[in-house]
Amino acid sequence: MDYAGYGGLLMKTSKMRNKARIMQRLRQIGLAVAVIAIVVWTLAPITWLAISSITPYIELISDRMTHWFPENPTLANFKVMFDLSKQTGQRFVYALRNSLIISSCVTIICLVAGTLAAYALARLPVRRKKELVLSLMSIRMLPTITLVIPFFVITSHIDYALMNIGSEFHLFDTKFNLIILYTTFILGFVIWIMMGFFLSIPSELEEAARIDGCTRLQALFRVILPLSAPGLVATGILAFLLAWDEFLLALIFTRSNNAITLPLFIAELGSQYITAYDQISAAGVMAAIPPVVLALLFQRFIVQGLTAGSVKG
Amino acid sequence: MEITRQELDDKRLSRRLLSPSLCIILLVVVFPLLFAFFLSFQQAEPRAGGIDMRFVGLDNYIYFLKSSDLFWPSVRVTIYFTIVSLAIELVLGIAMALVLNNEFPGRAFVRALILIPWAVPTVVNARMWEWIYAGSQYGALNGLMKVLRILPPDVNKVWLGFDVPFQGVPILEPFMRWMGVTRALHMIIIADTWKVTPLVVLLVLAGLQTIPESLYEAATVDGAGFWRKLTHITLPLLRPVLLVVLVLRTMELFRVFDIIYIIMQYSIRVLGILTYEIGMKFLQFGRGAALSFLIALFILGLAAIYIRLFYTEEAL
Repeated sequence: MDYAGYGGLLMKTSKMRNKARIMQRLRQIGLAVAVIAIVVWTLAPITWLAISSITPYIELISDRMTHWFPENPTLANFKVMFDLSKQTGQRFVYALRNSLIISSCVTIICLVAGTLAAYALARLPVRRKKELVLSLMSIRMLPTITLVIPFFVITSHIDYALMNIGSEFHLFDTKFNLIILYTTFILGFVIWIMMGFFLSIPSELEEAARIDGCTRLQALFRVILPLSAPGLVATGILAFLLAWDEFLLALIFTRSNNAITLPLFIAELGSQYITAYDQISAAGVMAAIPPVVLALLFQRFIVQGLTAGSVKG
Repeated sequence: MEITRQELDDKRLSRRLLSPSLCIILLVVVFPLLFAFFLSFQQAEPRAGGIDMRFVGLDNYIYFLKSSDLFWPSVRVTIYFTIVSLAIELVLGIAMALVLNNEFPGRAFVRALILIPWAVPTVVNARMWEWIYAGSQYGALNGLMKVLRILPPDVNKVWLGFDVPFQGVPILEPFMRWMGVTRALHMIIIADTWKVTPLVVLLVLAGLQTIPESLYEAATVDGAGFWRKLTHITLPLLRPVLLVVLVLRTMELFRVFDIIYIIMQYSIRVLGILTYEIGMKFLQFGRGAALSFLIALFILGLAAIYIRLFYTEEAL
C-alpha cells in the first residue's frame, strides 16, 4: 500500500468516526431538549399558580405581556384564608379541617376492611371468588353519577324519617354521610390493589410460619402484613388522595361549614362577576401541597401501588 | 381428618375477613344500584317530604334514545372528548416514557417531578387552567402567545369561547359543528391531559422495564432503526400495559364531570353533565337514573370490546 492510499484510508475512518461522534452528540442534544420540554410542560402551569398566589390582586390583572412576576410579592392571599373574622377565612379553615377528617376516616375504614378482604381473596378459599372479583372490577367502572341519584333519594328519605321522629341527627350536610359515600368508590379500589400486593408475596413464607405453629391470623399479622408494609403505605396514600380529590358527592351532599370540603370551597371561590384569582391561587396551592408532598415523599411506593393495581391486575 | 378441619377453618376465617367489606358494599353500592335500576322505570319527582313515583316502563330509556334532542349531541361530544383525549394521552405518554427511559443526569429527579400534575387535585387543576386561559390581557396563555409573537400584541383570544375550530375548512368544519366541538372543549382536553399523562407515563415506564434489553440489541445487529424497533418490539410488548391504560382511561374520560362542570358549568353537555343536570338540577330522578345506566352500559360495552381486541394470554 502506498502512502497516498494509506492516508486516504486513515482519512476515511476518521471521517466515519467523526460522523459517529456527531450523531452521538446530536442524540444527546435531542435527549436534553426533550427532557427540558417535559420538565417545562410539567412545571410551568403549577409554577404560574404558585407565582399568582403571592401576587397582589391589582398586579394579577395587569397586562401579562410585560408583567409576569410580582413587584410586591405578598402573603396576603394566604392570610385571607386563615382570617377567621371573615367569611372566606372561616369557610376555608372549616373546609381544610373537614377534608382532613373525612379523608383520614375514609382511608382508615377502607384500609382495615379492604386489607382483610383482599387477604381472603388472595389466599383463602372463597365461594364464587371469580364472580366476586369481577363484580369488584365492574363497581370500579361505574360512573359516580350512577350512584349519586339513588344516594340523594335515599338520604332525603332517611333524613325526612329522622326529622319526623324528632331526631337531632341527620345525614345531609354531615361529614358522616360523606365518609360513608366515599367508601363506595374507595373500598373496591383498596381491595383490588391490596390483592395484587398479597399475590406478589410468596406463599412459602406463610407456610413456613404455619409450620412454626402460627395460626392463619397470626401468620397474617406477624408475617404477611409487615412484609406488605410498602403496599399498605401506597394503598393508604392512594385512598387518601382519592378522598381528598372528590368533588361530585361533596357538591351534592354538603352546603354549610359543617361538611364543606376543600374541592368544593375552591370550586365556589369567586363568582360570575368577581374573578377571585388571588384567592383561588392561594387556596389551590394549599390544597395541592398535601397530595404533592405525599406523592414526592412516597413516590416509589405509589408507583408500585399504581402498577400493582393495574398492570399485575 | 386434619386437612378437612383446616379447610373448614379457612373457610370460616375467609368469611369473617370478607364480611366487613361485603356488608359495606351491599349497603352502599349494591342496594343503591338496585334502587337506581328501579327508579329508572319510574317517573320520579320530589314533593315535600318524599317523592312521587309512577311506573312508566321503558319510557325513560325510550325518551333519551328517541325523543330527547339533548341525548345524541351529548353522546357525540362525549365520544369526541374521549377519543381525542385518549389519543393525545397515549401518544404523549408513550413519547415521554421513551424519553425518560434513557440514561441522563438527574433522571430520578425528573421522574419524580412528573408525578406532580397527577397529584394536583382535579378542582385545583380546573381552576388553574381556567386562570391560565383567562380571555383578556391578563391571561397567561394570551401573554405567552404575545411574547412568542404568535398573537399580535393588541389581540386577546377568548380561549374558553364557543367558536367552532377549523373554520372555513370544507369537511372538517361541518364535522366539528356536528360533533359539538368548540375551542373551549379543546382547551379542556389540554388541561385534562396535563394532569393525566403522568399516570400513562408511569404505567408505560413500568411496562418498558419488562422488555429485555437483548431484543433491542438483536434488532440493532439486524440493522433495525428507531421506528422499526418501536413498532416491532416496544409497542407489541407493551400491549398488556396499553390495554390497562385504554380501559382505565376510557371509562374515566367517558364519565368526565368535574373538570368540565367547574370550568364551563352546563355549557359543554357531555353525558356526565347532562345526567347531573337532569337528575340533580331538574330533579327528574327517573330519567337521570335511566341516563346513568345508559352511560354504564356504554362503558361496559367499550371495556368488553377492548378486551376482545387486545386480549392475549398474559394480558389479564
